[in-house]
Amino acid sequence: MASVSSHGVNTHGNYVYANRQHGLRIAGFAALVAALAAAPLVASEYQVHALIVSMVFLLPALGLNLIHGYAGMLSFAQMAFFGIGAYTSALLAMRFGTPFWLNIAAGGLVAGLVAIPLGVPALRLRRYSFVMCTLGFAVIAQTIAKNWVSVTRGDLGLSNVPRPRIALWNGGFEISDIKSYYYLALMLAILAVLAFIAIVSSAAGRYMIAIREDETLAASVGTPTWHYRMIAFALSAVFAGAGGSFYVHYFTVISPTVFDPFYANTLLVIVLGGGVGTVGGVILGSFMFVALSEALRIAPDIRMIAYGVLLVVIVFACPEGLLPLVMRKIGTSPAKEVANAT
Amino acid sequence: MLMDVLVNGITAGSVYALVAVGMTIIFGVLRAINFAHGEYYMMGTFASWWGIETFDLPYIVSIPLALAVVAAIALAIGLLVMRRLIDAPFQIGVVATLGVSLILQNTVILIFGGTYKMFDGGWIEPVEIGSVSLSQQRILIVVASLLIFAALELVVRKTRFGKTMRAVAQNIEACNVVGVDVPRVVVGTFVLGCTLAALSGVLTAPVTVSLYGGMGTSITVKTFAIIVIGGVGNVSGTLLAAWLLALTESVVATYLGLQFRDGVAFTALIVVLTFLPGGLFSKRERF
Amino acid sequence: MPTMTRRQLVALAATIVPLASRISPALAQTTGGPLRIGLVVPLSGPSARWGGFASHGAELAIKQINAAGGVNGAPIELLRGDSQGTPVEAVSAARKLISRDGVKVILGDIASSATIALQPVVEAAKVILLNGASSNPDITYKAGVGGYKWSFRSYPTDELRAKVILQYGAEKKNITRYAVLSVDNDYGRGAIAFSKKYLPTYKGEILSEDYYKDDETDFRPVLSRIKSRNVQGILMYGLPDSTRLIVRQMLEVGMAGKVTLLGNGEFTYPDTIKVAPSVLNGAVEAAAWSPDLASPRSQKFVADYAAAYGAKEVPNVHAYTHWEAVYLLAAAAKAAGSTETEALRAALEKIDYDGATGRVRFDDHHQAELPMFIYEVEGGKAIEKGAFTAKVEYPA
Repeated sequence: MASVSSHGVNTHGNYVYANRQHGLRIAGFAALVAALAAAPLVASEYQVHALIVSMVFLLPALGLNLIHGYAGMLSFAQMAFFGIGAYTSALLAMRFGTPFWLNIAAGGLVAGLVAIPLGVPALRLRRYSFVMCTLGFAVIAQTIAKNWVSVTRGDLGLSNVPRPRIALWNGGFEISDIKSYYYLALMLAILAVLAFIAIVSSAAGRYMIAIREDETLAASVGTPTWHYRMIAFALSAVFAGAGGSFYVHYFTVISPTVFDPFYANTLLVIVLGGGVGTVGGVILGSFMFVALSEALRIAPDIRMIAYGVLLVVIVFACPEGLLPLVMRKIGTSPAKEVANAT
Repeated sequence: MLMDVLVNGITAGSVYALVAVGMTIIFGVLRAINFAHGEYYMMGTFASWWGIETFDLPYIVSIPLALAVVAAIALAIGLLVMRRLIDAPFQIGVVATLGVSLILQNTVILIFGGTYKMFDGGWIEPVEIGSVSLSQQRILIVVASLLIFAALELVVRKTRFGKTMRAVAQNIEACNVVGVDVPRVVVGTFVLGCTLAALSGVLTAPVTVSLYGGMGTSITVKTFAIIVIGGVGNVSGTLLAAWLLALTESVVATYLGLQFRDGVAFTALIVVLTFLPGGLFSKRERF
Repeated sequence: MPTMTRRQLVALAATIVPLASRISPALAQTTGGPLRIGLVVPLSGPSARWGGFASHGAELAIKQINAAGGVNGAPIELLRGDSQGTPVEAVSAARKLISRDGVKVILGDIASSATIALQPVVEAAKVILLNGASSNPDITYKAGVGGYKWSFRSYPTDELRAKVILQYGAEKKNITRYAVLSVDNDYGRGAIAFSKKYLPTYKGEILSEDYYKDDETDFRPVLSRIKSRNVQGILMYGLPDSTRLIVRQMLEVGMAGKVTLLGNGEFTYPDTIKVAPSVLNGAVEAAAWSPDLASPRSQKFVADYAAAYGAKEVPNVHAYTHWEAVYLLAAAAKAAGSTETEALRAALEKIDYDGATGRVRFDDHHQAELPMFIYEVEGGKAIEKGAFTAKVEYPA
């Protein structure tokens, strides 16, 4: 199994084609990063902000993609973990003045650690029971955030969360203007995407895909399915927690409203509408759907109606998500990482 | 006090049950979580309010009007959107129904304005039964939901439509083979389910008094919990699950505090699910 | 610097002439172009029910001011941005209005967390943020000398509200046994936190404490418990639409005439009283504004609002505060003789404006000192029992 390289064979077993596509994907990714790095030179502050929002959603969306797109379980708990990461970071920064890197690591870690005991009952469930159970986590998280007043300040929320402080040998500096925030977000997004690719092309990632494709088969050849589903669940929480950490340092406020369905629905649209089970789909989804919702601000009265209509049209026009549509337009087929499952 | 808890649980549960049963039968034939389900509840309330406010209709007349309006909207959505979800991957249903939810909710806000309205109708005089005091409207809700559930059980067991519904729920391909008009059954079931949600909205409007475009959102989450506990596609399971959830909520709200209700109720549901992953009543056949 | 002296002079003039909003357009040469206001409130989703009123109020003021010739010879412009009541959407909407449309002022949001997220954004953009609806005390603890130079709030804090309600309850109604039933957000929780601070002063005790979600429809279980605890009053800082269903359910469980409602949540509006007159008899409300307010300016607003949006829609407090906020901004622009943001900010800091509820002046934390009106329902009608003002005490 391990002998098959990560960019390996596609479903047709065509090596040359697969390699060409792999090269294309690296080129595409590099071009996107270059374009994003140059964006603040031409974009207005508002557009830069919209790009930051896209990247704020990208992190939990990658997590959702891991648990749903790779492990095959639709989780509604992403916003619960996002909130846990945000609260952890905010409390650390406000009470102990810890540097940003520590906060984001702690945010991700705490979310991941909380996910493990939750996963014990949840991962025994299938399909809709799992969806409901994870939906329940968000409700419970909100109840805790509202009522644990001595720590979370309840509904008053935590405000004036410190801006990210980058600790360096000479004392470091504070991120405050929007362009610095942007490059910080871009850096995090690149790291997250690379981490995601590393996870799904690792042995664990291939087991997850195998479980998604045929759990019974995977189990019958001795794959510890529960074990890998737990890894996917905990890692998805880490992505969400890290995203929440950046969110709270950017918006400087966190309150129990973060667990409201608005955010959870945005994530679902990004992942399911962008393209489940692909990295490119989620990246595209994050930017496209935020751009769409912002572009519609020209008509405040019918904005969300138009957004709803577009969602319905898009999902029927490209049921596999936006990415396959875009890929077809530029003449290659999307590589859903089914191929690498061995 | 205990009597109060029981009565409150049963009355609230009957409301949940009416909304949830619509969703569960839709789920049965489509395998799609209908994120827009609460919107039909909201539109039912709005249509009835609109009839009362603009045409000065008596409440009782506004009920069939509301059901007709919502059924017509549901038919349009059914033909345009839901029909395409037959055999479609799960995620399409999620995004499409989220989109429909945004469209319906914000169209109502656009037409009637975002501000909340007041519902003026129904039978709200309190009556005393033993130590418990409740409005006539609530007694009506409980009676109506019992009648409707009995009728639904009859429909799905005895009528031709009900039988095809169960058939579609069990095996779409086989239905296609034997010549069942699957899209027709799906759209029909969808319209029926949405109309039931609307009926629940109209019946509860007199006791919930205020109405606004976004009122359906919270309904969807609870409804979803109920159909999972009741066993997806299980009609009488839905009724029992709805009562159970409402009773749990009533106990928490009475003895612990309203702010802990949703959190505790969901924790209880998760614990139940852990031991009975398929729901409490999954042994029963679909429908 | 000549401009500074002129600005100071104009500001001084404004303090002498309190009716600044209604004086004829200044003839002085003006700078900064038309006054462009960005309204950031929830316009879609469940919170749109608050944004709808705010939007109607602000639009009415713009129409009226422009019909009277605008400000400094130019019409005011209003651009709306949808926040859905969330920080993410509020910041996006505000950034679009600032960056794309060049607004001088952001008016909003209603949800406190969204307002707090807007504060650093306007601070960096040097654009004014005027809030007329959020109740989180942090907003002005951190404004003015507290930090954010560009944030203002023309909405009273809940500390005064909580205090006068307890005082009235103790002195006029002899209530000592309370239950709490408030909305589960920063407003409801915050007001109760302030109440607890003052309860010992008025020898009151809380026997039951509940907070409801903003979309709650079933209050029977809580009401049953409250009924069994034999309380005299319910401290309720709630939402107006929930108030209506709570009082109807109180009627249902037979609490009419046994328990008094005290707090805020449109208890004294004719529409609410109509729902359950026997429950609301004796109810006490502390309101920043009420359609029953006797001031002629307020009465005219209520009449104009009904003419614009139909008699069925009674304006709520958000409609009034956003309507008055637009007039306040127009007054500031007139006083400054400019719509340059620096000049507007200086004018707002010094303004002495005569609003429908009384004089509006901002303290050094940019918190408007506003009165709280006490109403009691007597014989199915709201009777004004007095106005109270107090300075906010800021934590050191």
